Amino acid sequence: MDKAEQILAALGGTDNIVEIEPCATRLRTEVHDSSLVDEKALKAAGAFGVIASGVTYQVVVGPEADTIATDIEDLM
Amino acid sequence: MTDASPVDVLAPVSGQVIDLADVPDPVFAGAFVGPGLAVDPRRDGRTVALAPAAGRLVKLHPHAFVVQTAGGAGVLTHLGIDTVQLDGAGFELHVAEGDEVAAGAPVVTWDPAAVERDGRSPTVPVVALDAAAEALVDRHEPGPIEAAGLLFTWTR
Repeated sequence: MDKAEQILAALGGTDNIVEIEPCATRLRTEVHDSSLVDEKALKAAGAFGVIASGVTYQVVVGPEADTIATDIEDLM
Repeated sequence: MTDASPVDVLAPVSGQVIDLADVPDPVFAGAFVGPGLAVDPRRDGRTVALAPAAGRLVKLHPHAFVVQTAGGAGVLTHLGIDTVQLDGAGFELHVAEGDEVAAGAPVVTWDPAAVERDGRSPTVPVVALDAAAEALVDRHEPGPIEAAGLLFTWTR
């Protein structure tokens, strides 16, 4: 799996994503069910860190965030 | 420039130098994307944010940009916190993604006071992407700095 596929899987898959948006350094995403999110797998996929707040996750991936978000949207 | 050249990283804006740890955002404060310093910008209307180093603008958003030097050092400048939510409103770009810029070249005109009035911090983190903390030397002390003043040197 490439990075986008790994991140999408670690966020619980397409059906779990309400919204995903890139900013300069991170993916901002809202999920339906936070119990389906695997933070360890996000880090294994290359995330520098994960900031969770309820169903909102910020996955820190660095400046490639926009490219990764596009790749994830293509997978969805 | 060779790969081993140190990179002088300049302040993109005038204001007060603060530690990255004091930036009101957990990702920058935790140095997740790299070490650096931040500038709390002077509020005096619309102002130009400058390129902190010479190189190619490998990423350019209205509110943030990355300059990559010939030696491969990536320096991120982020204009304010959570400013992605402004969707570019109030940010005027002077260059295009992929352009080569000189150190101190104008990149984006913006209004730190307007960002603050909208309820966001206008703090400008300047981050040495993927650098080791100890690679940054000659770090500017907390306190006033002018745009294009030396913020830190990235030894490589």
